[in-house]
Amino acid sequence: MRYDDPDLRERLAAEYVLGTMPRRSRRRFERLIACDPALARTVGAWADRLAEIDAATPAEEPPARVWRAVEARIAAGAASPVPAHSWLGSLAFWRGLALAAGTAAAALIIYVVALPSRTGPPVPTVVAVLADQSGDPNWIAIAGPQRGEVSVSAVRPQAEDTRHSFELWGIAGGTPHPLGLLQPQSNSAAIIRAAQLPPAGDLLAVSVEPPEGSPTGLPTGPVVSKGKVLVTPP
Amino acid sequence: MSRPDSPLQLQQLIRQTSQGDKSAFATLYARTAAKLFGVALRIVGQRAEAEEVLQESFVAVWQRAGDYDAARGSATGWLTTIVRHCAIDHVRRRAARPESRSAPEESLRGLAADPKTERGAELSALQRCLGELEEQPRRAVLLAYLYGFTREEIAAVCAVPVGTVKSWIRRSLERLKRCLDA
Repeated sequence: MRYDDPDLRERLAAEYVLGTMPRRSRRRFERLIACDPALARTVGAWADRLAEIDAATPAEEPPARVWRAVEARIAAGAASPVPAHSWLGSLAFWRGLALAAGTAAAALIIYVVALPSRTGPPVPTVVAVLADQSGDPNWIAIAGPQRGEVSVSAVRPQAEDTRHSFELWGIAGGTPHPLGLLQPQSNSAAIIRAAQLPPAGDLLAVSVEPPEGSPTGLPTGPVVSKGKVLVTPP
Repeated sequence: MSRPDSPLQLQQLIRQTSQGDKSAFATLYARTAAKLFGVALRIVGQRAEAEEVLQESFVAVWQRAGDYDAARGSATGWLTTIVRHCAIDHVRRRAARPESRSAPEESLRGLAADPKTERGAELSALQRCLGELEEQPRRAVLLAYLYGFTREEIAAVCAVPVGTVKSWIRRSLERLKRCLDA
């Protein structure tokens, strides 16, 4: 697709705002907006043109529990603002690298991470890269945000489905133990305690489970992703 | 609560939010949540789900506040786009739409001016420009914007091929832009 065609840019911006773009195209388009200020302005102009349609929609006071839930999620650190060079910003970078390079790059990632960083913030340690059967990485585990914690997030958004969840397992000595449910959106992370991870060299795996997680304490659905614990996080 | 929001104030609140200012974020929520909840409710049609949409949207606002740039359009437009997309994702994850969503004729009619009436000055530019579209293409645009209908759903409701809906929407958006920017 030629994103430098002005008519096409205008049309895609309009359809993005209108909401008729399929979800996957919308995600791709959002990545374009992020690095193309002129396109972002075209989108903003469309949002403002069409916003008046909302004028006829009555405001409705939401219950207080919505704000409490927003506050709780923010306090949990699952979602912090992303100032440049923040931990999450780096996470996005590593995710991108994993996505581009595949699991074969894991050794390189460790090497790069091991280099002392002379400037800027501390670089997070990649704990594991989990890949699907064809070797495409789809989850990444990184040390942090707090000492003793590991964040596991989707390298790219995973198929969301309210009937299923993705559950993370540590497999130490061949026995799986549950580590928690993962967030399928790529902009949030599940935080687990580093102490729960199996030792370096053992496996992490993700299986598809009912919405509340496996009812048996063992994987019940297909394993869709796995990868070795590369390092024991600090 | 109903004090009018100055666009500049909202911009400022988003900027402060992007720096991690939680009280600015709380004020932003207090100023905008009711309107945005109305928009979410309109699209998903159920209060419980609209609450989820609002919650997810404001978490996204917190995360993405740094992306907002006043040069790229109004704060309200930016916030509304986040909420509408989140609501649309919710609706599309469901197997079927609730019945009430399939018959929004009355609200659609209310939004477009009949070009033959002489209320010109009282009408908003958008209403006037919507009124200049043919009835079916206008309906397609409004079903998509107001209720998050996909092209396929619009095609089913209007009993036309999807390709027809695509070209209606494409031409309608071009005409709206020409009309509004004129």
